[in-house]
Amino acid sequence: MNDVIKKEVTLNHSIDKVWNAISKAEEISTWFIQADFKAEKGYRYTFTSEPNEKGCTVISGEVKNANPYVLVYTWVVADTKVETTVCWELESTQNGTKLTLEHSGISNYGGETAVKMFESFNGGWDNCFNGLSGYLKEEVNAG
Amino acid sequence: MQDKITKLFKAIADPTRRDIFHALVIATSALSITQISNQFEISRQGVTKHIKTLQEAGLVVIDAQGRERFCNANTKPLQEINKWLQFYSQFWDNSLQNLGNYLNSKT
Repeated sequence: MNDVIKKEVTLNHSIDKVWNAISKAEEISTWFIQADFKAEKGYRYTFTSEPNEKGCTVISGEVKNANPYVLVYTWVVADTKVETTVCWELESTQNGTKLTLEHSGISNYGGETAVKMFESFNGGWDNCFNGLSGYLKEEVNAG
Repeated sequence: MQDKITKLFKAIADPTRRDIFHALVIATSALSITQISNQFEISRQGVTKHIKTLQEAGLVVIDAQGRERFCNANTKPLQEINKWLQFYSQFWDNSLQNLGNYLNSKT
């Protein structure tokens, strides 16, 4: 178990096209989530999920870095005080653009050691997550 | 889920509390405040405070027997961390999939 979520994808598109998709409010609102967003350092953005029976989920935070092709912003769900960080990094490749996404900061609260410590003495978590896929589906739909 | 996580992280943010929690997890039976206090060479008061924080996060369950209180570890709340990671891992997979589709459809 890692305390940083890291995703890498290669997109068969130019780096500027990908950059616009992840940094321009109207594009973010199309493929990701309704966004009031500016790729400017210090900008306080708001993402609003599609409403469901529980209402809307609002994600907010501050843009920490927005130099092409690195975009970093904090990520706070609703009025929780758990602040994590999302980092997008783009790199031109022969095939298009390599996108690296990192969502980190969860260990600022517990410390990586705490997470690892737990892992070392509890091997069998899988059974606990039988009900998770339905939950994930619901939550992802909620945004 | 997020509220629970906040409490949980507060509880395990402190190295001493992590050590106490670890000691409780590996102990074969519940440990009294006195036993914990002796093992860590910190005052009863200090131990009591740490235990209270762990208890609030649901990581410790206390069983009072007479004047002594016995502490049991409960590892279940730590699954919340894993849930968080699992949730966002899936969330970003789906989102990046959407991004790919979006870029492909855009002319």
